[in-house]
Amino acid sequence: MGQAIFTREIIKGALNAIGEEMFAAQKRASMSPVIYETLDFGIGITDAEGRLLTQGMGIPGFVGALDGAVHDVLGKFGGDGVHAGDIFITNDPYGGGGTHLSDVTLLKPVFFEERLVAWMANKAHWTEMGGANPGSFSTTTTDIFQEGLQFPVVKLCHRGAANTGLTDMLRANVRLPDMTLGDLWSGIAALRVGERRLAALLEKYGRGTTLRAAEALLDHGERMVREAFARLPKGRFSARDRIDSDGLGNGPFDVAVEIRIDDSRFIADFSGTAEAAPGPINCTRPALISAAREVFMGIAGAGISANDGCFRALSVICPENTVLTATRPTPTSSYFEAMVAAADVMRQALAPAMPGRLTAGQFGSVCSMVLSGNRPDGGEPYILVQPLVGGWGAGANKDGENAQFCVGNGETSNIPVEIQEARYGVRVNEYALHAADAGAGEFRGGLGAVLEYEISSEGVELSTFFGRGATPPAAIAGGMPGSVNYAVVLSGGKESEPLTMASRVALKPGDRVRLHTATGAGWGHPKRRPSQAVADDLRDGYVSPAQAKRDFNYRRPRQSPA
Amino acid sequence: MDLSMNAGSGGGGRIATDVGGTFTDMFHIKNGRAISIKRRSTPGQFEKGIADALAAGGVDLAGIDFFAHGSTVVINALTERKGAKTGLITTRGFKDVLEIARGNTPDIFNAYYRKPPPFVPRHLRREVGERMDHRGEVVVPLNEDELFSAARRLAQDGATAIAVCFLHAYANPAHERQAHEIIAAAMPDLEVIASHQVCLQWREYERTNTTVLSAYVLPAARAYLNGLQSDLSSAGLKSDMLVMQSNGGMVAPKAAAANPISLVESGPAAGVLGAAAYGRKIGERNLITLDIGGTTAKCSLIREGVALIAKEYQIEKTPASAGYPISTPVVDIVEIGNGGGSIAWLDPAGSLRVGPQSAGAEPGPVAYGRGGLQPTTTDAHLLLGRIDPRKLAGGDGPPDLPAVSKAFSALAGPLGLNALDVALGTVRIANASMVNALKLVSVNRGHDPRDFTLIAFGGGAGLHAASLARELEIGKVVIPPHSAVFSAWAMLALDPRQDRIMTSMRRLDADCMPWIVDTFASMERDARREFSDNAAMAGEIDCLRLLDIRYRGQEHSVEVPFDPAQDDFEQLLDRFHSVHEREFSFRLDNPAEIVNFHLAVISRTPDAAPEPEGNANGGDAPIAAIGSRAVHFDGHGELQASVFDRSALSADGEIHGPAVIEEPDSVILAPPGTSASVDAWGGLHLRLRAA
Repeated sequence: MGQAIFTREIIKGALNAIGEEMFAAQKRASMSPVIYETLDFGIGITDAEGRLLTQGMGIPGFVGALDGAVHDVLGKFGGDGVHAGDIFITNDPYGGGGTHLSDVTLLKPVFFEERLVAWMANKAHWTEMGGANPGSFSTTTTDIFQEGLQFPVVKLCHRGAANTGLTDMLRANVRLPDMTLGDLWSGIAALRVGERRLAALLEKYGRGTTLRAAEALLDHGERMVREAFARLPKGRFSARDRIDSDGLGNGPFDVAVEIRIDDSRFIADFSGTAEAAPGPINCTRPALISAAREVFMGIAGAGISANDGCFRALSVICPENTVLTATRPTPTSSYFEAMVAAADVMRQALAPAMPGRLTAGQFGSVCSMVLSGNRPDGGEPYILVQPLVGGWGAGANKDGENAQFCVGNGETSNIPVEIQEARYGVRVNEYALHAADAGAGEFRGGLGAVLEYEISSEGVELSTFFGRGATPPAAIAGGMPGSVNYAVVLSGGKESEPLTMASRVALKPGDRVRLHTATGAGWGHPKRRPSQAVADDLRDGYVSPAQAKRDFNYRRPRQSPA
Repeated sequence: MDLSMNAGSGGGGRIATDVGGTFTDMFHIKNGRAISIKRRSTPGQFEKGIADALAAGGVDLAGIDFFAHGSTVVINALTERKGAKTGLITTRGFKDVLEIARGNTPDIFNAYYRKPPPFVPRHLRREVGERMDHRGEVVVPLNEDELFSAARRLAQDGATAIAVCFLHAYANPAHERQAHEIIAAAMPDLEVIASHQVCLQWREYERTNTTVLSAYVLPAARAYLNGLQSDLSSAGLKSDMLVMQSNGGMVAPKAAAANPISLVESGPAAGVLGAAAYGRKIGERNLITLDIGGTTAKCSLIREGVALIAKEYQIEKTPASAGYPISTPVVDIVEIGNGGGSIAWLDPAGSLRVGPQSAGAEPGPVAYGRGGLQPTTTDAHLLLGRIDPRKLAGGDGPPDLPAVSKAFSALAGPLGLNALDVALGTVRIANASMVNALKLVSVNRGHDPRDFTLIAFGGGAGLHAASLARELEIGKVVIPPHSAVFSAWAMLALDPRQDRIMTSMRRLDADCMPWIVDTFASMERDARREFSDNAAMAGEIDCLRLLDIRYRGQEHSVEVPFDPAQDDFEQLLDRFHSVHEREFSFRLDNPAEIVNFHLAVISRTPDAAPEPEGNANGGDAPIAAIGSRAVHFDGHGELQASVFDRSALSADGEIHGPAVIEEPDSVILAPPGTSASVDAWGGLHLRLRAA
């Protein structure tokens, strides 16, 4: 008996280690900075039926995505249509695990002793998938057909043989074929590593023991989450927020939630949310479920690794065809704005009741940007895609974090300036914190950032995907709201209007682009902030003298602070 | 002790000292005699522990021609935040790179994450006009006036150390050199260090942070190294001492102080590399290493005889925190706050906890009688009869056993237990956290510990090793010779090495072959110049040349060996494709490019490999217990255990648990169900019968 528990633990640890190793393999082999630096991808292992066993680190938002894709493969091909050596590909936003066409899921069944025992899966943001716009996501598309090439759950490899027709089509339909095929290969590399490791594990412990350990892993996840929830407040919690724009000038769009927590269930009900937008900021139901799972894990607490068992108590309710549950052919290429809004409104509803777990509002958009053009030296085309760091909301006992990726972006990391310049030939003039004079509170919101590019070649275009361009992050307990996200272009001595959802703005050599992300919201009344803390903020430039006086009622002591 | 060991050429003595937070270890070989000494460290005055150890060993430094030294001075300054008030000077527009860091949240679901605060606060970060591009070409010349006033301003604000990190300095360090000269000339009292001196790799955050941490520890490291060298010289040492680096390198004090961050895992690296070296001797190529000192326990994994050198090293990185990256080559180690001095305490919920607070060297365990009131793991072993009170290492006199008992009773009351129960609980809890650390390097990385041998060293290892092995179902434990001072032993057994890593990008084609050869040759010239007066590198030199190569468009690369004497372009390209396929499972037709040059210079010291020691009693003498005493074993309660003197054990016999094997500074427990024997080098092998 003691023996069995011990073995089970080794298998559990080994499954997690396989997930981590697959994650590392894909990261290391990939061609896209958005994968290898930004880490905009996720890895998972499911059992034969598609129940998530383990998730490699990365984007928590992909936690709901991988099992759904396995269900779609099984639904379409049936058990008989799946063979050893097969690899499946899908990027269907409306189907299982769907987000947008840029996020491509690869799946490989693992057979042991002639029986399907597990699936290796990964989902990664490929830099180029074709469509009307470089980088394949935009603020202006009006249906999915403009957004790129669709893979509706098809076989990429059949019994070990690659379907070269499919890869040829991919090559012909994308702008940077080497990069796109490189992303494909890095994903396959990760699946192969995972398959090899799992086979070794099965070899060593046998199918029965390994699968029983997997089952125990799911039960353990469920128990951990239930224990965590026993300590949380029960009741109904609601909030309402909005998505400012859909990129086509429509909006705002209401996002509403009521969360009902009792002893055994956690229900997130999004009834009252606006209908789907004409522009591409909608997300689909699978992405909404991922958002709810992410928030759910966040409040369950640290130290629980996500698997199917964790989510047995969670349900999500939302009518069809809202901005959170778009249906074909509604555009979704900027889906992350709606997905983040769904997670944020849940956190906004729960934060006052869960201090120490959740904070006041954050800058609250992924703040993606795309810069495309040709390198000044040699003219090679490039597409620079990246999300931006911004300010997090304050908590009940801490200031908001400065310059982090949006809550829910997990291991997403910035692309070093030195790598951007070497790789794209762009010039970065500044990458710094941005004190926006907002987010005051007993605990103040974290600072956003400013990133400035100087354009040095012809034909460069900028797109920005900034939510919260009008509605600032919401404060709690007497704090003050944060600021908003915006970009400006400085050209010939003139500054443009603030840009938020901007598509393919043409830039000239010598133009400068300044991207600003928002300060998070405050918690508690600013007058309760100790004056020494305000003095320290002034010394470090986190707060301006004007804001210190206005929001914090701060008077400089006669002797200047050390 | 009388152990025959190769005394080295010239007949001079060889000596190694390893200073930890709690103990200072010394290992000395002269004229075939090996002496090991363990003495208390004096926090803030680590030189004193060395002087004590030398005196205790009766060492005449005038007769020493090789003095190796490892020290925790750097990691202590970092983790205890006792470094210098540090300022940062950087390229205009980028002073917040240090604080923005990478923006990631390792605890991926945690919306209440706390980002690690930078070592330099914002008001001590100053920008100056200057700019290089990625090819190393000057875009904006260095504004010397701004630089001067930035440095002056930092000095006025109280900074005593300055880090200089400019964008793209890995491609061209000219501005950093210029800045360094100006500050050093104008403000000679400031310590200054520039990024190109510590790291030639791109990624500005990692390089800036590495430089900042280097500056932060620089004054303490320099004062320590200079002070020690001068103490040693005035005591008669004729040569420079050699300082152990985190990758197995050994350098003179001046070179060590010029790159102090390379000492961050100094002593522990020696232990792990020494374990690999020892494992190769005894034919054990897959090892989990466990090093239990006074304050922490450290684990590492050796596969196929090779210790892993981590390329991405961080301090204070946990699943819940991004920690701080340091771009310097370091042996891959997991460390936890559990050692012999770890304090047992009750948390607010009334649960017994052990560590991470340590009684350290001062006041030390209660038993030392120097004012320690909180019981430690060492006190628990004493109470359980595992350590002979007459032979306690580190105390001033006979231990105060009633005080130890009283300290445990204070915890026992609220728990409704007796002192002995709490002592046993303390050891079991310490064991559980060590098991978790051992799992981190094995199970969590997909390795089954049952496929490995546990090699345990450090003063506390013998007391825990058998229990931990039992827990992990490891069948065999090796306690190497001189295990209590093993890191010091290892410094005399290693082949010292130096690693240089430089980012320099170019497409891999037939035309670039001369460039590759020239670049390596110039790195080798630099390296040889640097160690021309380094006694550690006096042996025959082997150069290992590695190129980081990738397909164009990839970021991460694979390490491809290169031999300038043999390789042509086709061979190199072929090797790259196969290494890539082995590591990443595919190959492409895309063009390849070179990213980094890595030169490892290894000195094959003829003295490095100690000879078999045999045993002191001349072979087949019967193994006689020197006594017996009552000892508590986990899961068995109190048993009468035979006591053996380790130095008297023979290579031919076997002893069976329950037994206690003693050596001057440590104790090895052989619980019931284990048998112990000795190898040709004096290492003790414990075999565990399957439970």
